[in-house]
Amino acid sequence: MGKIGTQIGEMRHTEAELLSARMETAAASTRKMKVLIACGNTLAILFLLVKGFLIHWEARKRNLAEENLKQANERLERRTAELSETNSELESFAYSVAHDLRAPLRHIAGYSSVLAQDYGPRLDAEGLRCLTTIVDSAGRMGRLVDDLLALSQIGRKALAFQETELGSVVAQVVEELATESAGRDVEWQIGELFSAECDPGLMKQVFANLLSNAVKYTRRQQHAVIQVGLSTQNGERVIFIRDNGAGFEMQYADKLFGVFQRLHKARDFEGTGVGLAIVQRIIRKHGGRIWAEAAVDQGATFFFTVGTPEIKVREQPEPAIHEEEMHVARS
Amino acid sequence: MSHEVEILLVEDSSEDAELTIRALRRYKIANEIQVAEDGAEALDFLFCRGAFKDRPPSQVPRLVLLDLKLPKVSGLEVLKAIRGDERTRAIPVVVLTSSKEERDLIEGYKLGVNAYAQKPVDFEQFSETVRQIGMFWMLINQPPPPGAFATSKAQGA
Repeated sequence: MGKIGTQIGEMRHTEAELLSARMETAAASTRKMKVLIACGNTLAILFLLVKGFLIHWEARKRNLAEENLKQANERLERRTAELSETNSELESFAYSVAHDLRAPLRHIAGYSSVLAQDYGPRLDAEGLRCLTTIVDSAGRMGRLVDDLLALSQIGRKALAFQETELGSVVAQVVEELATESAGRDVEWQIGELFSAECDPGLMKQVFANLLSNAVKYTRRQQHAVIQVGLSTQNGERVIFIRDNGAGFEMQYADKLFGVFQRLHKARDFEGTGVGLAIVQRIIRKHGGRIWAEAAVDQGATFFFTVGTPEIKVREQPEPAIHEEEMHVARS
Repeated sequence: MSHEVEILLVEDSSEDAELTIRALRRYKIANEIQVAEDGAEALDFLFCRGAFKDRPPSQVPRLVLLDLKLPKVSGLEVLKAIRGDERTRAIPVVVLTSSKEERDLIEGYKLGVNAYAQKPVDFEQFSETVRQIGMFWMLINQPPPPGAFATSKAQGA
């Protein structure tokens, strides 16, 4: 019995020892845990602080960038407005000048004609020659002024977009050119074109100017060939108009579309040098491009794209400026 | 003669007036041409006011040739006044101007112009334009019977 009692006593002792050892371990664990939690919290707080600072810094940077962007936009808008104002001022200036030049010109032409009619018999050959030169020059200047007016009117015109079958526009123009090519051997090769969103009246003018040029510059060919067709360049539809006429030197190609620029002598081929400027202006207004390739006496080819209908959205707000300019032009 | 003045030419440029009259006479279209040098004078003539207060109001011109760019009262304002009054409403008005501004064209037709022509620079073309306008409005076109509009005003009032 005593042995059992001793053993129980030992067991209790051992248990008590184990218990105190475990309690010590637990206490150490708890302390460690507390230190860990404290450290963790401190770290988390530190992390949050850093994060908060970073966010704040980033937001400030963004605000600053936004502010800069806004200012840049405003500057850009101001400049665009200024440019468009200058542009419309220039257009109405060109218009008024051309318009006001017409009246005195009409008087020069008119009174020279009256002089020729009433006093012609009293003038000698040299006198009549001088008078004829005055009448001819006044007439030529009249055509220049009228072409200039047409050019400035196109600049100020708002485009009226409409789905247009370009093939029928070409057919119409070719028919109207019949009188110009009458008595000549002109072979027309008209390929398939397409239907485009464009201003039909202006697009007709493009074809009329380009095709009448083709008729004019093939005048010295026994057999003139004028082609109208479609090609694709970089996935874009390109219309071309090719002739086998006089052509031009490629080194002057950049002058081709300038106002009053001519690559031929008036003696060889008459013209005011406004036709291609009008063509380029119309094409650009449609958001398209135009260029040409040629060689002297080997014909010329004009290429152009009609542009995309998206452009029309951008072009639409023009009438507001248009109205205002009209007023300036008339006053 | 109810039409003493056949054509009222409203034109501020004396050169243009002379050339127009020359063309009208050359083709024997009209001899009695009254020139008004600005819009105000044109209205005075038409409504027998000012310098024209002694003109009999029953005598209306058979045609008004109207320039648009005029001192004082513009051509379009003259047109508006002509169309706005019973006595002058029926007079054929043809605009003969340098401008073929879309805005002028639209406004002209809105106000009831009978025809609109641009003055060509070339004198032969100019004469031909004046001749055709004169031929049609003075010789081919039938004007309303004299006094027809003055009476309708009296009835309407």
